[in-house]
Amino acid sequence: MRIDAAYFAQGVTYEEFKASMTRNREQVEANERAVPLDPADVAALRALPRPLHVVAIVEDWCADVVANLPVLARLAEASGKLDLRVFDKSKHPEAIGRYKKEGKFESIPVFVFFDEAFREVGVWIERPASVTARRAERRAAIYASDRAFGSPDAPPADLPDEVRARLLAALLQMRADLKPWADREVIRELREIVGRAVAA
Amino acid sequence: MSARVRITYCAECGYEPQTLALASALMTALGGRLSAIELVPWLDGTFDVSVNGDLVHSMARDGGFPEPAAVVAAVRARL
Repeated sequence: MRIDAAYFAQGVTYEEFKASMTRNREQVEANERAVPLDPADVAALRALPRPLHVVAIVEDWCADVVANLPVLARLAEASGKLDLRVFDKSKHPEAIGRYKKEGKFESIPVFVFFDEAFREVGVWIERPASVTARRAERRAAIYASDRAFGSPDAPPADLPDEVRARLLAALLQMRADLKPWADREVIRELREIVGRAVAA
Repeated sequence: MSARVRITYCAECGYEPQTLALASALMTALGGRLSAIELVPWLDGTFDVSVNGDLVHSMARDGGFPEPAAVVAAVRARL
């Protein structure tokens, strides 16, 4: 299925999406406030000769959506050069058809950028590979920091409740600590896509 | 012998429907022959099912979600 102007119009605005959320809205709005936008990011988007249309395929339960959709929305709002429409994958399962990660995984969020004629200029999926890699490094370090955590490959349910709760808290804290840097990685990758559109 | 089933699911991946469907299938099929069904929220795309400590399904190891009937059979085999 190709995304064209008529399909694009079926999406909702970011504010409408937030109003429809059944969970995680507070976290989305907290993440939105914390996005480390730099004036250079906004200037880079404002250099676009014409606004880009952006389709965001999301669902409100997804941690990567909660983390990364607000970054895109802040860039759109601050620059005025990204015309963003949000598609809930559960209501629009057809939207992700051409945008599966590695051609097979329905990973979200998916951000698809189009020029004024709805020619695709870039696709961004889930989270930066650099973020996945750094989380994996930090996760390994957390497991190595306490023998009680056992092997990273062992089922967490095997751990005593108290140890599992401590491990979960450490993993969530690690993600929180990385969030500002991860946001910058998202911004860097989105700017690369926009930069290609400017150069085209 | 009774069986304790533990379902560890990724709480940020939208796996609640599959978790609840599996718990429901176990309750319907085995009822009072189970000593407990534990639901353990976790991260990282996890969906593990263990019976009396034996890992009978792991999304990371086996791929995808288990068929509820297969988990019921695995529990029966341990009763």
